[in-house]
Amino acid sequence: MSSVGNLNVVAIIMVIIVTVFTVGLAILVRRFTRTTADFYLAGRKVGTFANASAISGDYLSAASFLGVAAAVYASGLDGVWFAAGFAGGFIVVVLFIASALRRFGEYTVADFAYGRFGSNRIRLVTVVMVLLTSLFYMAPQMYGAGTTWTVLVGAGIFGLSPYNTGVLIVAAIIMFYVAVGGMKATTLNQIFQFWWLWTAMFLVVVFAFTVGNFNYPQALQEVTDEDLLDVRTVTVAQLTEVDPETGEAMIDGVRERMSDRALEPVEAAIETGDPEATVGVTLPAQNKLHTLRKMWFNEPGHRYDGLNQFSMVLALVLGTAGLPHILNRYYTNPSGQAARRSTFWVLVFIGTFYILAPIAGLAGKLIIDDAWRAGMAPENAAYVDGLLVRSDALMPTIAQILGGEWLMGAVAAGAFAAMFSTTGGLLIASASAVGHDVYEKYVNPDAPEIKRVIVGKASVLFFSLVALGIGFGIPAAGLDVAYPSLIAMMVTWAFSLGAGAFVPMLLTGIWWRQTTERGAITGMIVGGGGSLFFIIMNILNQTGRLGAEGILPFLGSLTFPTIFTFPAAVLAIIIVSKIDGQLPKNVDEIWMRIHGTASERHEKDMGTDKASGVFSSGQK
Amino acid sequence: MASSTDERIFQTTSRGVQMMHGDHIDTVESVDVVFRAQRKLSFSFAAVFFIVTLSIPAMSVWWEPWYAVEIWGGFTANYLFVSLLYYVFLWVMAYTYIKKADKLDASLGDLADEIAAKTAAEAAGGEQRG
Repeated sequence: MSSVGNLNVVAIIMVIIVTVFTVGLAILVRRFTRTTADFYLAGRKVGTFANASAISGDYLSAASFLGVAAAVYASGLDGVWFAAGFAGGFIVVVLFIASALRRFGEYTVADFAYGRFGSNRIRLVTVVMVLLTSLFYMAPQMYGAGTTWTVLVGAGIFGLSPYNTGVLIVAAIIMFYVAVGGMKATTLNQIFQFWWLWTAMFLVVVFAFTVGNFNYPQALQEVTDEDLLDVRTVTVAQLTEVDPETGEAMIDGVRERMSDRALEPVEAAIETGDPEATVGVTLPAQNKLHTLRKMWFNEPGHRYDGLNQFSMVLALVLGTAGLPHILNRYYTNPSGQAARRSTFWVLVFIGTFYILAPIAGLAGKLIIDDAWRAGMAPENAAYVDGLLVRSDALMPTIAQILGGEWLMGAVAAGAFAAMFSTTGGLLIASASAVGHDVYEKYVNPDAPEIKRVIVGKASVLFFSLVALGIGFGIPAAGLDVAYPSLIAMMVTWAFSLGAGAFVPMLLTGIWWRQTTERGAITGMIVGGGGSLFFIIMNILNQTGRLGAEGILPFLGSLTFPTIFTFPAAVLAIIIVSKIDGQLPKNVDEIWMRIHGTASERHEKDMGTDKASGVFSSGQK
Repeated sequence: MASSTDERIFQTTSRGVQMMHGDHIDTVESVDVVFRAQRKLSFSFAAVFFIVTLSIPAMSVWWEPWYAVEIWGGFTANYLFVSLLYYVFLWVMAYTYIKKADKLDASLGDLADEIAAKTAAEAAGGEQRG
């Protein structure tokens, strides 16, 4: 085994290869980034396949690469929904938003809001919402960077902890390559990074079928034959406390369920006599949906009750259409038709990825357990009776069992690629919100091109530092302890915010001519502000700051607020627009920009509706 | 009165606003035809999409044969659909929509040109009569 202490040398080399390629590409592309259209939109000439790959790379974050398989491993069918919902969101994009946004022909979502409703006020509200959504999405990437570095390297630099070192290094790399290469470098890197992580996931599944003798329906049957178990850390006092009604203690069930090897540390902890000593045990999972049924892997209910089943689906499906870094990518298409075709290929690319990820999660259930019982499980991860204590470690763990350090290296590099590509897109979205939407429009409208690009790059530097601060702050705020699946949870917050703040405004702005500026702003505040309120309540609830009784803990229990915030925002837009009735004076022009096809017919005649090379310079 | 966005020229005539790009013109009337047709197409597909998508959690909550009966190895209908068949549904849906939308764009483009030409001819005739 090529390891030094806890260092996995082969994996680190592969991560370095991905990093060097990423940075090298940015330096190579730098000379092709001269204008703001180049910096923010890659010159609006990204072809269908390239853009579909880049959107997929932008979209597939650490939550998809590490989180989906982990969620399936821990929760069974409820975890599979993360994959299906993430993919389904692109149908909303293609049906309602893709081509209209591209036809409108601006730079950012805030540009659309300004162009559609004609006020500076709405542009600034949109900028605030873009920044909030991007920061919520950036947080899990930074957290993923810290935790992956901890597993992979386990050592810090400059006196920092391994976690903080991972955050620092990833933030520094992304800051450099985005600031140097802009959207062109980001696009090319996202294409490369998407195919790397797709291949890594594919290889894990191929190895599961070949080396691990995995059989999908049979494996599903096998894990369902036994109860779904949760890993819990409990104190000796909790473990030995006798329930007066049943006359049994938790330890009785644990002794029946767990193997002798797994029981050894538990019995040792009990023998010490310290009631506050903690041990890891397995407990049967509760079915939150059908409370009278036992919880099995192939049934719904491990994570969500009835209301949250619907709310989760809505949050994931609607949230995709409200992610600013994904919406910005639609402006890079050469035409509205190309935007639709890109979305189809995105669905094919990420769909195949999301079919593979739950297979990896299910395979991990059996293969990791077998390896642990044979004494062959990797030592980097922690287990309780063959179950991973932290399910987020599933992908590197199963990769190491099935394919040794090379496959583990491909997966580790894939995890970093996922963080690079998504955070790169988020930095571009945040930088364009400040550099383009605020600086170019309000601070210095007459700034020369070179100055605009410099401000864009300075914005990237600033938001990289913000990302760094968020990454450092997550453990300090105790969020990593409060949420067992923090990466997936934080991504869901970003989806909820996007679904509440942007999707109602975009849908009504594109498809209902009577939408007014006041209506749209009200909808964004109701949807975005409402989502933010519920997210903060949920954080306060999870960190034990709301108590156990009353209305506040109830409000804090809602994991996905979209089921309330989305219809509330749409309703607010309709009611306020009806009362207001103040349409922009040039509403006919605006409507023509969104739905007119003269530009596309002209470009088709001229042959300029096709993509040119991403390396070419200049704008449309 | 004329204004422009990128290479698009907007012109306000006695018959309303027109958008011109090269030889092609959009009128309020032609854009309205395009918009209505696209809206019908998008909302029809969206209705199917949301009915199917929200039926899955609905059946997970209320229909036991969907979530509790194994039909192939350990696959329940619910697990099979969410882990595999839902993607086929998404691909077929997106492909069909895009084909129809592209076709609609082409036919509406021709129609928009016809409407614009007719509008221009009527305007010219009106000026001559005037």
